[in-house]
Amino acid sequence: MATFLLIRLLRWSVGLLLILFIAYAMMYYGAGDPIRMMFIQGEDFDSEDEVVMLALRKKYGLDDPFLVQFGNYLNNLLQGDWGRSIRLQVDRPVLEIVQFRLPISMQLGFAATVIGAVAGIGLGILSALYHNRWQDRLTISSVLFINGIPSFVIVPMLLYLLVLELKLIDVPYGWHGVFHVDAMLPIAVISIGVLPIVVRQTRSAMLEVKSQLYVRTARAKGMPESRIILRHMLRPVLTPVATTLGLIMISLINGSLFVEYILNIQGFGLLTIEGIKKVDYPIIMAVVVVGTLIIFVSNFLVDIIYPILDPRVRAQ
Amino acid sequence: MTGAAAGARVSRVVDDGSITIGEQRNLWQDAARRFRRNWLAVGGLVVVACFLVLATIGPRIAPYDFLEQNIMKAFQGPSAEHFLGTDDLGRDIFSRMLHGARTAALVAFSTTAISLFIGALVGAWSGIRGGLADEFLMWISDLIQAMPGLLLVILINTTLRRPIVNWFDTLYEQTRNPFFLNTLWLDYALVFSALALIGWPGLARLVRGQVLSINEEDYVLAARALGASEWHIMLRHVIPNALGPLIVAVTAGMGGAIFLEAGLSFLGIGIQPPNASWGSMLEEGRRYWQIFPHLMLIPAVTIGIVQVAFVFLGDGLNDALDPRRTT
Repeated sequence: MATFLLIRLLRWSVGLLLILFIAYAMMYYGAGDPIRMMFIQGEDFDSEDEVVMLALRKKYGLDDPFLVQFGNYLNNLLQGDWGRSIRLQVDRPVLEIVQFRLPISMQLGFAATVIGAVAGIGLGILSALYHNRWQDRLTISSVLFINGIPSFVIVPMLLYLLVLELKLIDVPYGWHGVFHVDAMLPIAVISIGVLPIVVRQTRSAMLEVKSQLYVRTARAKGMPESRIILRHMLRPVLTPVATTLGLIMISLINGSLFVEYILNIQGFGLLTIEGIKKVDYPIIMAVVVVGTLIIFVSNFLVDIIYPILDPRVRAQ
Repeated sequence: MTGAAAGARVSRVVDDGSITIGEQRNLWQDAARRFRRNWLAVGGLVVVACFLVLATIGPRIAPYDFLEQNIMKAFQGPSAEHFLGTDDLGRDIFSRMLHGARTAALVAFSTTAISLFIGALVGAWSGIRGGLADEFLMWISDLIQAMPGLLLVILINTTLRRPIVNWFDTLYEQTRNPFFLNTLWLDYALVFSALALIGWPGLARLVRGQVLSINEEDYVLAARALGASEWHIMLRHVIPNALGPLIVAVTAGMGGAIFLEAGLSFLGIGIQPPNASWGSMLEEGRRYWQIFPHLMLIPAVTIGIVQVAFVFLGDGLNDALDPRRTT
């Protein structure tokens, strides 16, 4: 077990290093010079600017050769220095920006996961209990239907419906905390993305459990149906679902990118787009580091948690 | 069952002991039968077929050129003259939607073709050879799959464009070949390659898994015992058996490619104007959504319908092609 985890850890950390290297190389060779871009936007451009540009490049360490820059970046990163933003919020430490942005996305994601989990497990149980009857078919096809619509389509359509047609809400804009009215629409849309995965997994796990002998035994000894569902069926079902819910954090960072962009929520997804549009190296690298790290850690956690939750895996 | 001509008639003993004449169906006929019973999947197939037909003949039946501007007629609602109205520059929305369909179909086919080619090669190689090469290839595909897909695609699209344009500029100055002057198709090439890059690992895993599991089957062992060559086993057993899951994955991949292209163009990173893409039309329409909502709603509804159709089609194929289901 320990060797298995060690190999996993090695696999993921070497992978992370490789990804950082490739991302840095892409920035260095492809993204363009952020300092020059700063000046192109101003009209006049003279020899004095060249001097300032050189000084600025030196300041951000952009005049070093590629490998030196990458080495410095890694070294600083390990010491908790993520660099300073070059163009997005000039000279502000990137770590500070990340610490401000990430909690917003996490709150959105967490609220959406809770709602998606509650609704999804409920619907999954329902459709498994009514297996192949109309309740099941309706649930599965409507979940498939909702799952099919991209978030960048569903948000504009909901805006049109709720704001222009029904006049129920004002245009939600920006971030005012997770309990503010404006957070309802993004949370609802993100949780729609969570729902199908949870419903499908709960349903299929439930169907598998339904025909188990111990469920038949429980029923044979006269246990009430509600108790059978809660005590005997739900527990083995919740194991894979809990794992999935953990993994859903991955898709939430991706998925909330569009929602945050459309509704101008100052979260991590919007930071990705802003950083890339402004060619802000340290910001883009931070986005890559955090985005990849979250997924790698969650993958690694699955490897650890699964044996703890499921005794059958532990026995192997 | 209309395909009965192909099936030989065999006798079958039913539960009550009486003998009835049944039809023997092969896997594909069986799958087609299951598929036709699922009306959502059939609906999805019809929508996808319509989409592909419109994408092919679209520019021929388009009433206007998709770039033709007429500022005097900007922001018109649907009328006899302009079937779906006009956009902020007075361009005919219907013609632009048809052109966008072509973009979407082009992206779907090219991306899936490239990732299927790479994925099948890598997967088959990994599955057959095993060992260190397998370990390495699966590590790479794990890494790509673990990265947030959208982030990877955005990075590739934004960072590879500039060096290629610069490289083409110098190539043009050296060779004076007009080919290097036109970079309009570069948007497409970049979107194809970025999407294929995140698409192949899933297919490689699938192919590898199929190769490994089918090689374990008893009928392959039997064939081997009878002296069949590896080549024969590959052609007669592995490929036909892996086809079903592969068709499902490819359908899902096409839907996913259309989704990602629309999303990228929506963010202003994928297909750039003046090329028409549903995603960029949606983004352009969003600017005026409170005054002229049809500019936003038309592309939004279209993307939604096509995506849902692909999902239902993929789901129906998944159910139909699973040989363990017998109905």
